[in-house]
Amino acid sequence: MKKTSPSLLKATLAIVQKDLAAEFRSFELISAMLVFSLLVIIIFNFALELDIKTRQSVTAGVLWTTFAFAGTLGLNRSMAVEKDRGCMDGLLLAPVDRSAIYFGKAISNLAFMLIVEAVILPVYSMLYNVNLFRLDLLGVILLGSIGYSAVGTLLSTMSAQTRTREILLPILLFPVAIPVLLAAVKASNGLLAGAEFSEILTPLNILIVYDVIFIAVAFMVFDFVVEE
Amino acid sequence: MFLETIPDTSGYMIAGFGVCFAVMGIYILSMYLRGANLKRDAEMLESLQVENKKTKSKTDTAKKK
Amino acid sequence: MQPKPIALKILDVVSIISIAAATYLALFFAPTEAVMGQVQRVFYFHIGTAWVAMLGFILAAVAGIAYLVTKNMLWDRFEVAAVEVSAMFFFITIALGSIWARPAWNTWWTWDPRLTTAAVTELIYIAYFMLRQGIEDPEKRARFGAVYSLLGGLSAPITFMVIRLFRTIHPVVIGSQSAAAQGGFSMTTNMRTTFFFALFAFTVLFIDLIWHRIRLGGLEEKVEQLKLEASI
Repeated sequence: MKKTSPSLLKATLAIVQKDLAAEFRSFELISAMLVFSLLVIIIFNFALELDIKTRQSVTAGVLWTTFAFAGTLGLNRSMAVEKDRGCMDGLLLAPVDRSAIYFGKAISNLAFMLIVEAVILPVYSMLYNVNLFRLDLLGVILLGSIGYSAVGTLLSTMSAQTRTREILLPILLFPVAIPVLLAAVKASNGLLAGAEFSEILTPLNILIVYDVIFIAVAFMVFDFVVEE
Repeated sequence: MFLETIPDTSGYMIAGFGVCFAVMGIYILSMYLRGANLKRDAEMLESLQVENKKTKSKTDTAKKK
Repeated sequence: MQPKPIALKILDVVSIISIAAATYLALFFAPTEAVMGQVQRVFYFHIGTAWVAMLGFILAAVAGIAYLVTKNMLWDRFEVAAVEVSAMFFFITIALGSIWARPAWNTWWTWDPRLTTAAVTELIYIAYFMLRQGIEDPEKRARFGAVYSLLGGLSAPITFMVIRLFRTIHPVVIGSQSAAAQGGFSMTTNMRTTFFFALFAFTVLFIDLIWHRIRLGGLEEKVEQLKLEASI
């Protein structure tokens, strides 16, 4: 009897489930990202004069810098774990469309990033007396994280196979992810400063366009980038 | 807007054109040097290959005997 | 490396003449701009190099797609040439922009969107070379390079979009009635001639340098192949 290979959706969800289950057992990835994020925020406190006035203008930037750095940590580790445990080879041998691997990894990377952000936002709100619990801001953070994870997952797959490995990821990722970070910061800034919706619409559009384009491209190109 | 005098920024202009030609010149030079080095390497490797083939055929004929 | 084809020899000569002519036009034929003075003359080369750099980055992205589809190494060779030559020209663009900025805006650099994203674009292509350097297998190197040049090539136009949409102090010289940003100016006929000729001259030079770099790439591949054979 011929066994049919699982659908793309099923395979993707299976991979996400595997990653999340593995992570929730040990919490090594999320805890590392969390502690790192807190340290970054503390460093920013010393590095920048965060009196009440400047805080307003700087909040968006500090948040997104923290997310970007923590995200890199997560992306690197997530891919390294696959290689170390030999999971990648197993996944590649499975009768599953390669794109399932991409979407699965990207979604779990996104999940880790969102979990970390969910903790950092209240912490930052408390430390700096800023209300960050706005639905529109959360929406922007979601869109930005999606774009970042989409490109980051593809690039971390590549950097894991080079001589310099993890060191290369930020070098590859940051320049290409700048439009996301720039648009996300502009949008977040606008929201926090109470700007007109028309002003926020522009960076918002850029975020959406970027997400769509790069998810599509990453998905199409992933096959070429995964080890033989 | 009517200005009395045009500011003298010719120093910057010279710097600009200087940088432009310097960078292009350095790049062309680097291509030339890389080409020369590679040609030398290719010749050396090719002569090595010829020598290896010669010694290989010698040992082959020696083995046959 | 095969002997230089005649077409390339001719192109070499045409490039040198074109650039020399463009230099003459920029330095003497174009009028002196009233507000900024002589430094404005670098504008022609600033735009000339920017144009070919952007063209090159887009060509590199196309070459990347072509390689992934055909697996023909010639596309990889072309891609590397396009990225290298364009990165060189774009460096000149940024340097000239900075030199122009100093007397015009009284600062060597500002973090306005256009300049920042120009720096970021240049960094993408430096990252491209760092990526390639970290891979030994030529086939994998070609594959990864193709993917990254594609990503970079997509990022560059989005960057350009960001420029137009956000407020900037960078002058919008083309397609604006009033010089709304500081340092903008409208072009006279002589300026326009110089401008378009500079674009032409740099395009010719660009093609010439790419051709040379492709030939160099062929030699690189040959040596790499020989080294592999020698080590067996």
